[in-house]
Amino acid sequence: MAPFRSLVEERYQKSIEAAKAGEPTAWCVANYSMGDPILMAMGVQTVYPEQYGAVCAAMGTAQEYLKRSADEGFLDFQCGYARNSLGYAAKMTELGQIPAEAPMGGMAKPKLLLGTGATCDGKFKWFQAMARYLDAPLWVLEVPHPAVGESLKEGVAEHNIRFMVEELREFVSFLERLLNKKMDWDRLSQIINDVIELNRVWRQVIELRKARPGPMHMRDFLVCMNASLFLFGDLKAWTEAYRKVYAEVKYRVDNKICGINTEEKYRLIFAQIPPFHSLKFFDDLAERGWNFVIEGSNYHPPIPADYSQFSDPLERIARFSYQFFTGFHEDAFHDKEYMGYFAYPNLGYARDYQCDGALFHALLTCRPATNQLILVQDRLMKKLKVPTLVVQGDLVDLKLFDPESALRQASAFEETMTHYRKVRKEAGLAW
Amino acid sequence: MVVKTQSKGLTRVQEIYQDRPHRARELKAGGKKVMGYMCIYPVLEMLTALDMVPYGILGDIKEPITKADSCLPNMVCPFVRSCLDLGLKGKYDFLDGVALAHTCDVIEKTAHIWHIYLDPSYFHFIDVPHTTHKAAQKQFKELLKDFQKSLESFTGKQLTPPVLKKAIQAHNQQRALVRELYDLRKPDPPLISGTETLKVMVALMSLPVNEGINLLKETIAEVKQRKNGPQKKSARLLVWGSIIDNISLFEMIESLDANIVIDDTCVGSRAYFPDVELTEDPLDGLAHRYLVELKCPRTFREAEIGATKKDYLTDLESRFGYLGEYAKDWKANGVILQALRYCDTHGYEVPGIKDYLNHIGLPNIYIEHDYSEAALAPLKTRVQAFLEVIRG
Amino acid sequence: MTKVVVIDRGGNVISRVIGPTGAEHRHLANKVMEEALQKAALSFNDIFYVVATGYGRINVPFADRQVTELTCHTRGIVSFFPNVRLAIDIGGQDAKGLKIKDGKLIDFVMNDRCAAGTGRFLEVVAATLGLKVEELGSLSLKSTHKVPISSTCTVFAQQEVIARISEGIPVEDIVAGIHDAIASRVVRMARRLKIEPDVVFTGGVAKNIGVAKALEENLGYPVFVPVEPLLTGALGAALLGKEFALKEIEKGEILPKKDRRLEKVTFFDEGDKPK
Repeated sequence: MAPFRSLVEERYQKSIEAAKAGEPTAWCVANYSMGDPILMAMGVQTVYPEQYGAVCAAMGTAQEYLKRSADEGFLDFQCGYARNSLGYAAKMTELGQIPAEAPMGGMAKPKLLLGTGATCDGKFKWFQAMARYLDAPLWVLEVPHPAVGESLKEGVAEHNIRFMVEELREFVSFLERLLNKKMDWDRLSQIINDVIELNRVWRQVIELRKARPGPMHMRDFLVCMNASLFLFGDLKAWTEAYRKVYAEVKYRVDNKICGINTEEKYRLIFAQIPPFHSLKFFDDLAERGWNFVIEGSNYHPPIPADYSQFSDPLERIARFSYQFFTGFHEDAFHDKEYMGYFAYPNLGYARDYQCDGALFHALLTCRPATNQLILVQDRLMKKLKVPTLVVQGDLVDLKLFDPESALRQASAFEETMTHYRKVRKEAGLAW
Repeated sequence: MVVKTQSKGLTRVQEIYQDRPHRARELKAGGKKVMGYMCIYPVLEMLTALDMVPYGILGDIKEPITKADSCLPNMVCPFVRSCLDLGLKGKYDFLDGVALAHTCDVIEKTAHIWHIYLDPSYFHFIDVPHTTHKAAQKQFKELLKDFQKSLESFTGKQLTPPVLKKAIQAHNQQRALVRELYDLRKPDPPLISGTETLKVMVALMSLPVNEGINLLKETIAEVKQRKNGPQKKSARLLVWGSIIDNISLFEMIESLDANIVIDDTCVGSRAYFPDVELTEDPLDGLAHRYLVELKCPRTFREAEIGATKKDYLTDLESRFGYLGEYAKDWKANGVILQALRYCDTHGYEVPGIKDYLNHIGLPNIYIEHDYSEAALAPLKTRVQAFLEVIRG
Repeated sequence: MTKVVVIDRGGNVISRVIGPTGAEHRHLANKVMEEALQKAALSFNDIFYVVATGYGRINVPFADRQVTELTCHTRGIVSFFPNVRLAIDIGGQDAKGLKIKDGKLIDFVMNDRCAAGTGRFLEVVAATLGLKVEELGSLSLKSTHKVPISSTCTVFAQQEVIARISEGIPVEDIVAGIHDAIASRVVRMARRLKIEPDVVFTGGVAKNIGVAKALEENLGYPVFVPVEPLLTGALGAALLGKEFALKEIEKGEILPKKDRRLEKVTFFDEGDKPK
């Protein structure tokens, strides 16, 4: 897992170097692989203000940027990642250069912004608000979020895919105009194949985590996921790195080596966005034998499918991304669970990874990651007899995170998890 | 349709405002299907064309939220929480189904929660695109076809273009009358207050389109004739922002030295001003109106789609220029920007709108409220001080 | 606290009273008004015009007009400091920033949701330290190593203060830290108004020289404090009242409007009876 650790820092360095050399750079939202392969094929270096929010939180500079965004008139209930980067952009524009304290060398002034309608209104509203400080054009990628039942009706998947493909084609032509260069379609096709393959391998690693004891704790997962979420560098090399991780985890499975240093007493699912500024929290819980064997679906590749029959690379990547949002819809419809992405997959995970409990991070400034948590908590208990512990927190504002209360409740929650093992047995559930 | 002889105009408006479901329940008892919808994106013309009663799902500011806590956290839009709470309490039990749309994250999730916990006989979710790109407009038309198919299968009726066109004409007629009503607010003093207008708009969302048309005609005639309209006040305000579905905020503002003469909110001009163009395939006109013409911050707009150069001021003017036009046409001398706490789509807009209004020299203030009457008292001082600033 | 300022046609203050505030606003307003009249040896009918301001403004039955404290403070402050561009007012319940241009209020920000950053916060801290609020200011001037207080919530800050005491940190350093916490919070809020000098500091907390000093440090500008910072709002109300009265007289109105007065005065006659 070692090579993944330097990945984040390297990305920011590369982007700064590119900006200095006059090469195009972009600030992007996490875009479910819709935009990244295209930017990569066009030679654009990307950074991700969301991820940079987590970086600033961990490095202690987020507070200053949050204050600055408040001074600028942004509202305190809004996304911490957004306010962090708005404060950062305001300061950078005022100084005319990257602020000295900016972690990892900072984010250079971009040539373009890439937002999306996918999963979160902030992902285009926030980037639109950035226009107060940056004169870079913003492209917003469309991604459909069909409801479970509606998506299964005749013809719906087809027009949704057609829509995504047309959108991607428009995005390509926008980039061609902006960068004054033509798309290398062969290169794009190769990149997209690599993206699909990389995610297929990475998904296999995640499947291994069903084993008992869980061979890969969430801390290790979080280190490795970045190469899949945010494309970077040589995709074939990263696929190779995932293969090595697969071998490492497989070895652990075969030898029953646990992903935490103590005995696995409880298997847990975590949702949805972790407190990146305070990950030690999970180490404290690991010492008690809490093994976080799986996380919410937002960081995972979609259920694997074969895309080789589609000759248009844009259609391949559109279908891949669409699969993320709808791949589980038939099961969800069958189970009458109509809340799709971010909700239903967690029920499947809790069942397939045989979780004893769930830990949910209720984020005071992130509605998309919090809206569905109470629903999922209710469904986990009703359908699978799996209890949930909720810890309050925020994406970047350390003051809002309350690990102590969760730790105080830990032993009581252990009793609850133990109790529900019996309940599940009585209900005829498998674990 | 038989409407028994009854009160008219503003008196009728008041009756409906105080007991919204009354008429819908009557119609249902008479065999009509009543279809609930939330926010302004479900296409009402289709419901009307299939002889259903579109019924706007609203909250109740006076009803404490208790049941919604068990499925929607408290850091989301309190209006949406209130709507869901009423649903869970059975207060929308007269609805035959719901047509919901992907307006914002919270309404999207709430739609699915409604589906799971209330299991209505009819449910449809329109996944509205987030941009006005050409491909998005095409996609939206496809989504309307999906909606049409699902309504047809629910009602067992065919929705033919002529029938749909007739419904579009009826809704356009209603919209024209709403604009006429709003024109009565252009004189000084306005002939009808903001509070009264809001009640009319709430009533329209509780009635079939033709009854709404009659109510508007009566109200307009009454307002033109009456002698006891609003008093002249120093401030003529434009109110912008997230949904206002009850009169408490407007009443507070108009208890001060101000008349609200124009709004840009969705129980108001935002939902009712734009017409549907009667295109050969009626779905084209509908798709354009609902995706492109409706101006809710939930949709991404820019001065020129795909422009490779960006100028902040040009962008602001293209997005908010209509507010400047409203202010000019209704002679507004101040703007109240208001949003419900936790409303992300409106919230992100605030600094930009302020930049625009300051640029055109229109005094403005931002206020945030949490859908409770108790929270209005401290806001009153802010609003009053703002009015003193305008007056100079 | 309920305050009354009475001025004459020339704008000279002829009476001033600072009384407590209770739940019974109406009753109190009458009582404090009576006291102010006594001091000036005037009868109620001698008063031409009454402007009520502040949160209790709607509970002053004999007022001719209600004006918010923001406008009244501005008027009062401008009478002392004509070049003021930003006024910071920290009272017991709230904190405000007033942006002033050519003697007029043109924009404002308010914190009325949270006790931190108001006089209430200082009261809590003083009680925790066993001091009087009035002692805090001069005490903090003795500080050599100000301790940062990071909590922005009153309850947590109180706990933080207790923790610092038990660590043996000198009281003056803790108090200086508290003053800095208040000042930085208020300055942060005021930054939305784009700060320009002259800056004037008013309200009950302006009597605390430690907070004034902390404000100067946070702002980077000198801060002017009027002699009676508690009375600027009431004085401004009186000055506005004078302007309104003169305007009405100009229009040919006869002031005071006695018939209306008498009706209001019945509140006095009811004396201590609850409404």
